[in-house]
Amino acid sequence: MISVNNITKRFPSATALDNVNLEINKKEFFGLLGPNGAGKSTLMNLLIGYLDSDSGEILIDGEKMTTGSPGLKKKIGLVPQSLALYEDISAKENLEIFGSFYDISKKDLRYVIAEKLKMVGLFERKGDNVKTFSGGMKRRLNLAASLLHDPSIILCDEPTVGIDPQSRNAIFDYLQALNEEGKTIIYTTHYMEEAERLCSRIAIIDSGRIISNGSIDELLRGLEYKQSISITKSPVTEKYIDSFKPFGTIIENPDKYELQPDDGLILSDFYKRVEETGINYTFINIRKPSLEALFLSLTGRSLRD
Amino acid sequence: MKKILSLIRKDYILFWHDKVAVGLTFIVPAALILLFGSIFGGSGNDASGIRLAFLNQSDTKIAKKIESTLDTTKTFQIIKTFTDDEGKEVPFDTTSIKDYIIKGSASSALIIPKDAYSDTSFGLKLKFYYNPKNELEMQIVQGLLQQTVMTQIPEIFNQSMMRRSEEYLGESKGLSFNRKLASVISEYFGVDTSKILQQGFYSTYNDSTEDDSSSDKGASNFFNNIVKLDKEQLVGKEVNNPGATRSVGGWAMMFLLFSITASATSLFDERNSGVTLRILSSPVSRVDILWSKYLYNISLGIIQLTVLFFAGYLFFDIDIFSNFGNLFLVIFCSSAAATAFGMVLAAFSKTTAQANGLGTFLILTMSAIGGAWFPTFFLPPFIQILSKFTIVYWSIEGFLQVLWNGAGLLELLPTLGVLLGIGFLVNTVSFWRFKKGDIF
Repeated sequence: MISVNNITKRFPSATALDNVNLEINKKEFFGLLGPNGAGKSTLMNLLIGYLDSDSGEILIDGEKMTTGSPGLKKKIGLVPQSLALYEDISAKENLEIFGSFYDISKKDLRYVIAEKLKMVGLFERKGDNVKTFSGGMKRRLNLAASLLHDPSIILCDEPTVGIDPQSRNAIFDYLQALNEEGKTIIYTTHYMEEAERLCSRIAIIDSGRIISNGSIDELLRGLEYKQSISITKSPVTEKYIDSFKPFGTIIENPDKYELQPDDGLILSDFYKRVEETGINYTFINIRKPSLEALFLSLTGRSLRD
Repeated sequence: MKKILSLIRKDYILFWHDKVAVGLTFIVPAALILLFGSIFGGSGNDASGIRLAFLNQSDTKIAKKIESTLDTTKTFQIIKTFTDDEGKEVPFDTTSIKDYIIKGSASSALIIPKDAYSDTSFGLKLKFYYNPKNELEMQIVQGLLQQTVMTQIPEIFNQSMMRRSEEYLGESKGLSFNRKLASVISEYFGVDTSKILQQGFYSTYNDSTEDDSSSDKGASNFFNNIVKLDKEQLVGKEVNNPGATRSVGGWAMMFLLFSITASATSLFDERNSGVTLRILSSPVSRVDILWSKYLYNISLGIIQLTVLFFAGYLFFDIDIFSNFGNLFLVIFCSSAAATAFGMVLAAFSKTTAQANGLGTFLILTMSAIGGAWFPTFFLPPFIQILSKFTIVYWSIEGFLQVLWNGAGLLELLPTLGVLLGIGFLVNTVSFWRFKKGDIF
């Protein structure tokens, strides 16, 4: 379990993190969403012990993470935003170098390197210089280099920047498989669709503050909903349709009702009413709002501004 | 045309914003022009303050005249005493002045022996001890020494010659000989005979032939034969290839500084690529990175210098094995100091380009004033002082002590101490700076 408690980090030019609090559970796929400059990378740098905070603390399995926590760092694997690889040597040599920083015997390291190269589909290219790799291949090697010491927590700092959809999907698959194996994954991105696809829970960060935190459904339910909701006609829905009138205007069609929401409809209130009536969710058709819309409603600006 | 002008303007804007490029284009060459100009233009020709050990064992008038001339000339810094084992200043004797040169305290010594000049001898015999660890310097010192002696006291020799002719031929015949000789000079050079007899042959002859360089040269040769320098090389007689032995250390150091600077500035490349972040996310600390970089560079320096000296052995038969232990110590200390230089450069720069630009400037300057390209003896006095603050100077000193003098550990200790001291101080500064800087 990772606890981020009242973390503040200031740089001469700006406050990067301002009293940030987070709890990330074991085996969770946790997303950290925010625009560029929101403080995501600073938080990652604190989580890996690259920086020390000005105040507050980060606890990983109850132990405090600082720049001087070599033992704790063994639990973490970082997939950096940049391609942190030596381009003029081979993929295998890169992994040998990065693996040598951990207590892994040479024999085990050889085995692990082969295993990880196979995992990311680069085993056949292990002897080739990294500079001959495509962007996607480099990204995959970047991921493999972070997994050599079998970390229980994997921090991915925008690991799919600048690659083709095929390689992006491959990386998503690797990460999901790792999460299913029991790894805790913290994933920063400013792509909402990535967070929606991968993360069971997310925190939205902006200007150094966590402005929203929870599962995607929880967050979206708190969003003011403005699109029409379709309710399929059935004996149960006909019986309780009037109980939805407080949420807006109901228009009856031959096979369904259309609820045109009033201003200020909160989805969580609507779902609560659905559960009270006992209507099955299969009769309710809501066009799910996007995280982009959530971010817009929370900050008043687009995520990619 | 407008497009071309716009493109030119664009290049100037980019150039002006690249401070390293601006520095390398204007400041570095200007500084080097200043340096070389002062060496080969004016100041270098007016060498001054050359350390010359001096012992006058003669009580003749000429010997005293030479001594007083040397005392007053700015060309030489005359040293007449040494500090003995008890810390007392003791005047040189024949043995101690030799030891002084052998130890490398000065490169040359002039002795006016007791029998340097007498009324019955012709000319002046001087003893000259030297350590030609820098051959060019030695040749210039000898030339300057003869020039100093000759230009200051020629009339003594002239009068001596006239007196000697009178002694050998008898007073009347001698006087007659001198008058005839004076009349011949008068006839050929149009000088008053009485003036010749009064001032001596050389000064009169010299006055009347100012524009005749060949005649003047002949006169100089004549007087060169009068002053006989009995030269004795005290150090380096066994050195196989003096020229290569002298120069290999300086050039090796210059290239070592370049390679170590490149290696130290790789810290920027690793930071920019994100490798530093990856490494620091593992159980590796910043101090580990700095120490590894420092030790790597020292080992690289040791390997590079050893290989270069070995190349010197293969190509020029430089004897690196007879005193290899001490040579290795100098190599080690030089590598440590050069590494400290590379690290401080990385610590105070913000980008690779900045470090490389500044490094190129400093390495070329240190090599020039430290003696890698030419003897520091050529340099103006204030730059000679500056040269002692460079790693190159002390490394060259160490290499020459080992390869030229065959110095032992005790003799080397001061040089090694200076190199390690520079390394320690510079490293302390760079570690402090790394803590404050943003390279990590």
